[in-house]
Amino acid sequence: MKAGANGSRVAAGKGVSFSKSPVLAVRLPDWRSRVVLFVLFAAFAALAGRALWVQVVDNQFLQKKGASRYMRTEELAATRGKIFDRNGMVLASSLPVKSVSAFTEDIKDAPPEKLRELARLLEMPEADLRKKLNSNRSYVYLKRQVEMDVVAKIEKLDIDGIDTRKEYKRFYPQGEVMAHMVGFTNVEDVGQEAMELAQQKALAGQPGSRRVIKDRLGRIVEDVGMQREPHDGKDLHLSVDSKLQYIAFNSVKDAVEKFHAKAGAAVVIDVHTGEVLALANWPTYDPNNRAHLTGEQLRNRVITDTFEPGSTLKPFTVALALDKGLIKPTTLFDTGTRPYMTGGHPIRDTHPHGVIDVSTIIQKSSNIGTTKISELLTAQEMWQMFTKVGFGQAPRYGFPGAAAGRVRPYKSWPIVAKANMSFGQGISMSLLQLAHAWLIFARDGDIIPLSFQKVTEKPVGQQIISPKTAAQMRTMVESVVGPGGTASQAQIPGYRAGGKTGTAQKVIDGRYSQTHYVGNFAGMVPMSNPRFLIAVMIDDASGPVHTGGGVAAPTFALLAANALRAANVPPDSTVTDIIIPEHPLEESN
Amino acid sequence: MTGKLNVVLTALLVACALSVVNSRYQRNHLVNDLEKLASQQRQLDIDWTQLQLDQSTLGKNERIEQIARTELNMAPLSPARTQYLTEGGQ
Repeated sequence: MKAGANGSRVAAGKGVSFSKSPVLAVRLPDWRSRVVLFVLFAAFAALAGRALWVQVVDNQFLQKKGASRYMRTEELAATRGKIFDRNGMVLASSLPVKSVSAFTEDIKDAPPEKLRELARLLEMPEADLRKKLNSNRSYVYLKRQVEMDVVAKIEKLDIDGIDTRKEYKRFYPQGEVMAHMVGFTNVEDVGQEAMELAQQKALAGQPGSRRVIKDRLGRIVEDVGMQREPHDGKDLHLSVDSKLQYIAFNSVKDAVEKFHAKAGAAVVIDVHTGEVLALANWPTYDPNNRAHLTGEQLRNRVITDTFEPGSTLKPFTVALALDKGLIKPTTLFDTGTRPYMTGGHPIRDTHPHGVIDVSTIIQKSSNIGTTKISELLTAQEMWQMFTKVGFGQAPRYGFPGAAAGRVRPYKSWPIVAKANMSFGQGISMSLLQLAHAWLIFARDGDIIPLSFQKVTEKPVGQQIISPKTAAQMRTMVESVVGPGGTASQAQIPGYRAGGKTGTAQKVIDGRYSQTHYVGNFAGMVPMSNPRFLIAVMIDDASGPVHTGGGVAAPTFALLAANALRAANVPPDSTVTDIIIPEHPLEESN
Repeated sequence: MTGKLNVVLTALLVACALSVVNSRYQRNHLVNDLEKLASQQRQLDIDWTQLQLDQSTLGKNERIEQIARTELNMAPLSPARTQYLTEGGQ
């Protein structure tokens, strides 16, 4: 070590600098520089190759990355179709609203006075709002379907972590009056009830999207193309008439209150087109505010509830016998003064009628009379009649939840069944089915399909009874609505009306109840050229009257009188003073 | 000769390039106007829907009846006090 240290000092002493010392001069082999050159060249070549690869050969990835810097996918919303009544009045329509939600992490530091203001704008207690914000989830909905002016105020508050998203809200301007006809949609704008549900496919829109190029200010400068074409939902034109619906609704509502009934329903059908002009239920609900909805309110008693109609069915048996030429309106039957035994069961009339003709059997609603007429017919013939007019058949109204009712196959009918069914027991149907079947009397013996949508073409009917029989039946049912008939309260000042009452004992726990009744009435106005077919049902009236003649007939009269006036139908009768007997005749069951 | 042609062609090329730039700029403006009009149309559609709803709400039979009865003191007519005029009638 020491010698080495001296040596270097010696070398310096010789006047040769360290860096120039020839001892240190290194002789490099030539190939080394070439290798370095080659490696550098290869590295550059690799870079060029890679650049060529990603930009020319496999350029998708970078293209996509580039496009994402300036291209945007824009959602194109589709609106749900509007629902109109037959006169073009809007019954349901969607408007854009926004949902208000929050990223719980970001909103934690929001000033409390702003949150208080937010709670006020969302119309919820501050405690509820805080509970939502303290949830474990990172994203919570605070309120759905907030209207735009409120959203604008919320956005003005400028709270971090508040998010708003566009959605639609359905509005029902006619409210509870139309509820059972139109139905409603849920928060996702999907139909839940009635026509909103039945026509969901046609009403629902198909949202689309398109690619656009935006400039730095967010303005669209180029429309690159459509990804998915948006389709707005189709508008729906219903057969219902707002005015008639309002009249029907009010008549039912008033009747339920007046007769202390559990429920009521009415339906008005256009005799010429088969269009359902009004369909009213009470109790009902407001489709705009469904916070406390019960099944009772939702039930559409016209369509989904079946009942045994009672005497309202008598005209069908009589019409069948008339049509087969077995009887004439003047044929006499002895209804006796005591119960009539058939198949071991007594058939009773409320009043003894003695010997009366067929017209009077209908007018006075004699059970014994129709039983005797039914004895002229076979079970098969009666079954065919009931089936042809739609009883027991799954209805095709295009309305969700339509009940089929029940008609037993004629082979299993006991002997008493013919008698029972002739006056409407042991057979069930919905009010709409009953009204539909009654079309054969209001029209010239044919039945046409019912429609909940506006009808533009003349419907094709199926002949059930001859026009002559239908005319005879019209004369008979007109006599029912007269001072001597069971439906004297169905008289309408200025118009001729016709119809038939029915009082059915409700079946409770498999037995006919003696205290719970369904009073119903089916009728047509004006008799000179029937235009409206109206069926009314009053369920479980607990006042002093409960029969069809007592509760349903006056409801019919009120409804029909207002409907005729609203529809500008000229009066066909000069009788404007209504005579209602002090003790109106009641039908037998 | 070739030199002149080149000058002319270069000038043409530059002019074309500038006109492309110009037409793109104009297109962007037009597209932007179109978008504005489209959104205006959407807003008008919404307004139309809102007005239809208002019409239906304000034209509700219930409201009309209430106003007719309470504010205007009107009563429904009855056939007993109605004179019907028929063309060609007595």
